[in-house]
Amino acid sequence: MLDQLTHSPHFYHYLYLAVAFLAAFNILEVLFLLVHKTRMERNEIRKEALKRRVSTAIVTVTDPAEILPEPSDYVEYAAYSEAISSVLESFEGELAQRASGLVRKLGIDSYYRSMARDAVWYKRASAIDTLSAFRLPHNREFFLAVFRSEASADVRYRIVFGLSLLARGSEDIVAISKALSSLPYLTAKYTEDIFFNIITALKLAGKEEDFGKFLTAIMNDASIRPLIKRDCIAACHAAACERAATVVKRYFLTFKHEPEILIACVRSLVRMGNFDVIHEALFHPDWRVRLTGLKYAHLSKDDLLKDLKRLLHDSNYHIRVNAGQALARLGAPGAQALREAAGADDKFAAEAAAYALTLAEAAR
Amino acid sequence: MNHHIIWAAFAIQHVIFGYFLLINTTYTLLILLALKDILKHSYLSTARSTRRLLVADSYYKPVSVVVPAYNEGPVIVQSVRSLLNLHYPEFEILVISDGSTDDTIETLKKEFRLQESKKPVRLQVPHAPIRAIYVSADYENLIVVDKENGGKADAINAGINVSSYPIFCSIDADSLLEPDALIKSSKLFIEDDELIATGGIVRILNGCTVKDGSVLEIGMPHSTLEAIQVLEYTRAFLSGRTGWNILKSLLIISGAFGVFRKDMVVAINGYRKTVGEDMDLVMRLHRHCKDNKIPYKILFVPDPVCWTQAPFSLKMLLKQRNRWHRGLIDCLITNRKLILNPKYGAVSLLGTSYFVFVEALGPVIELMGYLSIPVLYFWGLLNTKFLLLLVVVAILWGISINIATIFLDTYNYRRYKKNSDILRLCLLAVVEFFGYRQLTLLERVKATFSFRSTQWGAQKRQSIQADAQKSGS
Repeated sequence: MLDQLTHSPHFYHYLYLAVAFLAAFNILEVLFLLVHKTRMERNEIRKEALKRRVSTAIVTVTDPAEILPEPSDYVEYAAYSEAISSVLESFEGELAQRASGLVRKLGIDSYYRSMARDAVWYKRASAIDTLSAFRLPHNREFFLAVFRSEASADVRYRIVFGLSLLARGSEDIVAISKALSSLPYLTAKYTEDIFFNIITALKLAGKEEDFGKFLTAIMNDASIRPLIKRDCIAACHAAACERAATVVKRYFLTFKHEPEILIACVRSLVRMGNFDVIHEALFHPDWRVRLTGLKYAHLSKDDLLKDLKRLLHDSNYHIRVNAGQALARLGAPGAQALREAAGADDKFAAEAAAYALTLAEAAR
Repeated sequence: MNHHIIWAAFAIQHVIFGYFLLINTTYTLLILLALKDILKHSYLSTARSTRRLLVADSYYKPVSVVVPAYNEGPVIVQSVRSLLNLHYPEFEILVISDGSTDDTIETLKKEFRLQESKKPVRLQVPHAPIRAIYVSADYENLIVVDKENGGKADAINAGINVSSYPIFCSIDADSLLEPDALIKSSKLFIEDDELIATGGIVRILNGCTVKDGSVLEIGMPHSTLEAIQVLEYTRAFLSGRTGWNILKSLLIISGAFGVFRKDMVVAINGYRKTVGEDMDLVMRLHRHCKDNKIPYKILFVPDPVCWTQAPFSLKMLLKQRNRWHRGLIDCLITNRKLILNPKYGAVSLLGTSYFVFVEALGPVIELMGYLSIPVLYFWGLLNTKFLLLLVVVAILWGISINIATIFLDTYNYRRYKKNSDILRLCLLAVVEFFGYRQLTLLERVKATFSFRSTQWGAQKRQSIQADAQKSGS
């Protein structure tokens, strides 16, 4: 093959051409690299200056749109949107209203709405992220419309996230849950995040009890995956949705064979000040439920000394170690039990007790 | 006899030509894929999402940071201080002294007021016996394990057993993590349940200014030998790993900085004792998941940064490259099931094939190419014109790949801000082909024929501050 190539009259012409092309390409590459770097640096400086200007205008001027120019390119739109998002994250009331007003008056939302229809999926995703950060109620319909036509799951997840920030009541929760159900389950934290946003939005709207109603409605709905139910309860924990405490307790009593739901229930109820479930959790056959109970055992009003001593002999390593630490948190009676266990025949229990004692001493 | 030699020299020409096309086409494709990925990343990695993860206390999974250390006395305090500076809601640092014979344990005891702990250890993965476990009186999340010597893999295994959290991050003792590196890498475990391992970019610390375990100012090392490694690392991570990432064939997560799901690593019995333990672990994770039909992802993420000391002498560099190549061959032999096996999909047909035919066999092929030149010349069969043109094309093509790598780095990350540094990197993109490449090639050929050796070839350590000053002065 090589012989044929090297004997071809055009072969060396092509090789010379390749050399010339590569040499020129390398020089152009270096030039482009330097020009691009300079341009990026200038854009960064411009963006930072504009961000400062926009933030200052929102804080100091009643109608910032009057003194701020309309953004003209991607860098300026990015500067405006970052400054506005930052204000919306940090302030409520009049300042937040001014920032939101700026989005509409300067056509920033229109720009990102058109970008949300771009052919490249990650540009659409970025646009949806930005629009979500604005938390503009009128974007709700836009999000729902885009969701219906969107092909990329990556973008659809982001749209649902954006919708969750705009929830106003029961109808929205149902719409978001439907949208969520139409997508493959992503992660526990994503779903929890969605419901966390919903609860936060409902709390702001004074409709926190709507979430409790939603939890009741889905409790026996077999079409909703247990994982989703668990994430809803985990969101109650994260967002401290206290009005849902009664429903969460009902979940705890109903889903005896769903350890994941039980763990979420224990964590949520404890955060809401309901410690009744801790004792029962310590007896659950699934070690993860027992472990969750142990984490909060010191808060229980029941006398758990005997149960914790028993758990020092548990077959699971994590339970033994955490039972020791739970005993240490009980104060003098717990410490006494640990000293006794540290000298016991059960090597594993003795190790767990000795470790808990050293930790307690170090903490002192 | 002569006839055979000439025939072999002719045959090798074809192999060399094929190898030349294969290697440069692969690198070019990887660069193009990486460019696409970095464009995507620049749109999607918004500061907003990281901030949201940091402020909401429910959005994280606790992480155990495992630091294997063997005679790391000069660097260990800086390294631990850097880790204590990490921005992360809940993490523990486990320094595993692997039978150090220097003052590593004494230094740590003094600096962090260590007290002996009786923490029970579960033997989930095998390792040499633990002598003692210490906990810092000043930082309750700092644990030091003193164990008998067993090698790096053995030390990490001990760390896995002592660790308390479901995710662990393994990091070299001579490396520094940027404060947000852990949150940037571990947030992926929250965003994707299928993720089992991830790694960030490893950059060269030489030439940077370091204070209290943090990189204050980023700079290029003055020594050419160290500076070329900046280029090499950037190329390996930003074009190589990003490209393999897209092809779902990532076979290495650097031992200097990797984050793993503990249950998966325990399922494959932890790290295996080899000089290429990082690659071996990832290859076995691929095999385990594919064999058991477990949906999984192993990803490289380019923005969490780990700064590491690069060898500052030629002797150390060659030792390191020898070890890497021995590790590579050992991993490929141990995981030979992955070679050209359609059952393992792209991991086998793309990733492993590349490592076998380009990385493992490449040095020998390249050396044979160099050796065939005098043979062909001696028998008057050398086509000098063709040879020279081919060499020029190969070098120019290689340079363009190097410059494209610098562009990738400058496009999104811009760690090296000075134009003089960028121009120096461009110059090094040329210099690399004259001497440096041939020296490392010879060492890799040597390693090919001594791959059964399990010697680590311990590197000399300098205090991180001293090293930075030395390279930067």
